[in-house]
Amino acid sequence: MKNNIIEVSNLNKVFKKQTKSSNLISYLKTLILPEYTYFQAVKDLNFQIPEGQIFGFIGANGAGKSTTIKMLTGILQPTSGNIVIDGYNPQNDRKEYVKEIGVVFGQRTQLWWDLPVIETYFVLKEIYQIPDSEFNDRLAFFDDILELRKFINNPVRTLSLGQRMRADIAASLLHNPKILFLDEPTIGLDVSVKDRIRQAIKEINSQKKTTIILTTHDLRDVEVLCDRIYIINNGQEIFDGTLEKLKSSYGSMREVVFSVDHINDIEKLNYKLKFPEIEVYVKDNDIHVIFDSNKTVLPELIKYTLDKVVVKNILVNETSIEDIVKKIMRT
Amino acid sequence: MQYIKLYKIFVRQYFKQLLEYKLDFIIGILGIFVTQCLNIVFLWVIFSKIPSLYGWNLDELIFIYGFSLIPKGLDHLLTDNLWIFAKKTVVSGQFDKYLLRPISPLFQITFETFQFDAVGEILIGVLLLIKSFNIVYWTPQKAILFILTIPFTTLIYTSLKIMTASISFWTKKSGSVMYIFYMINNFAKYPVNIYNFVIRFVITFIIPFAFTAFYPASFFIRGENNTFFYSLIMISILFFLLSLFIWKKGISSYESSGS
Repeated sequence: MKNNIIEVSNLNKVFKKQTKSSNLISYLKTLILPEYTYFQAVKDLNFQIPEGQIFGFIGANGAGKSTTIKMLTGILQPTSGNIVIDGYNPQNDRKEYVKEIGVVFGQRTQLWWDLPVIETYFVLKEIYQIPDSEFNDRLAFFDDILELRKFINNPVRTLSLGQRMRADIAASLLHNPKILFLDEPTIGLDVSVKDRIRQAIKEINSQKKTTIILTTHDLRDVEVLCDRIYIINNGQEIFDGTLEKLKSSYGSMREVVFSVDHINDIEKLNYKLKFPEIEVYVKDNDIHVIFDSNKTVLPELIKYTLDKVVVKNILVNETSIEDIVKKIMRT
Repeated sequence: MQYIKLYKIFVRQYFKQLLEYKLDFIIGILGIFVTQCLNIVFLWVIFSKIPSLYGWNLDELIFIYGFSLIPKGLDHLLTDNLWIFAKKTVVSGQFDKYLLRPISPLFQITFETFQFDAVGEILIGVLLLIKSFNIVYWTPQKAILFILTIPFTTLIYTSLKIMTASISFWTKKSGSVMYIFYMINNFAKYPVNIYNFVIRFVITFIIPFAFTAFYPASFFIRGENNTFFYSLIMISILFFLLSLFIWKKGISSYESSGS
């Protein structure tokens, strides 16, 4: 039985926002008598993460992922609830706690913009007081898996996005943290760079036994990397389990795509009347239908469609995990 | 100890960056030099018409003016990054990364960059002091006191910047607030008795810029305000503690922005 390195219980975050008015008079009024609206970004989250796990933290934009990550990393104060990570309270024990974690925000860099990559590593070496020999060993290791050598002497501002991400990941791990937070580490990268970064993350996890919390919108990341998937929507947990569990619970989902000449024909279809359980959306001149093969019979669906409209092409897809997640979020 | 070492690294990094932007650096220094020279020419023109101002003659005024540039320049040299913090660090969400490092965020933000342009200001200050050197009847005590005064006067500038920078924790940006308060230092360059009661009160007790130049300088020149040193120490330290308190309050109400 592995120890849980992260324990989160009854975590809540409510943001208080001042109501702003565009009307000048009521705006002046709110200066004196401010009115507030409350927004609950995170609702009663409970989870434990065992040491060494790669934990995929998934949710749509605005679902509360970043807010949760910020509370876990100690940046934000929870409204209520408890977080214990490696024995620390992230907010109260900030200085000691942050030595145990590495954080990469895909959208921002923690590197010094005008410095060569290697120089920013020297600054971090001093901040974390890393001994020379360990620093050199780790640098060699990261160079090995992230191929830093080509750009390590270039100023950060001249790096490509993929290079910067690799440099940032190495930077977050120089002090050998027990836990690594990766907030969208593959955002905006091309396929081959994504692959390399995934390989590196796997390598780090298996060699250093680092516990990794990963948020991403790219579900390939989840398929390749994550031992466990945790999905939230509107700040609440909606799924917690392995990829297998996700697939077996929702894996009977299929998608069929009808290409049509006149997309307005969709009005003739009225799917909802005959097939109440399906999901339909339109993209370009294609009608996408997502359905559960246990509930809806595909030939019937196709026949029904062909009877009503002129179809140029039919394509049946196994559902990707992306569709599964979409489906879960809608229900 | 770690902080001193880190500070050296920050300064070294700064000079490395300077080599990347040489032209910017030269223009920066020239700019400050030209501004200060114009200020002095302006003073000169005025005082060639008016031989004295409320009983202060040209050399005395030059001494006060020169004195005021030393703490201002030192603060500018050492803690310029606070401006950048007030203008954009919180609003851009960049403050998060400072909270994720195991050292004081205020230390990192204050000293992360070094502003060599400020050497222009300090140089002019020193030149003016040299020019008006003779009007002070120097004794060893005065010389020691002069040197001891400098860190405390500088602290007043830095504290004011920390306080106004802290406001951005609530308002996301506080560059303009900082600018308004910072500009009050212009009153410090002239004798306090030329101002009305309100201004005198403000720059003595509220934003104590009068302690950064006039009170010490008038002591050196005329022996007036001979208890200035004690009040300077007290006021600068109180002001600094207050700024730390506001900073702490600010961090605890900080809510980072963006995703």
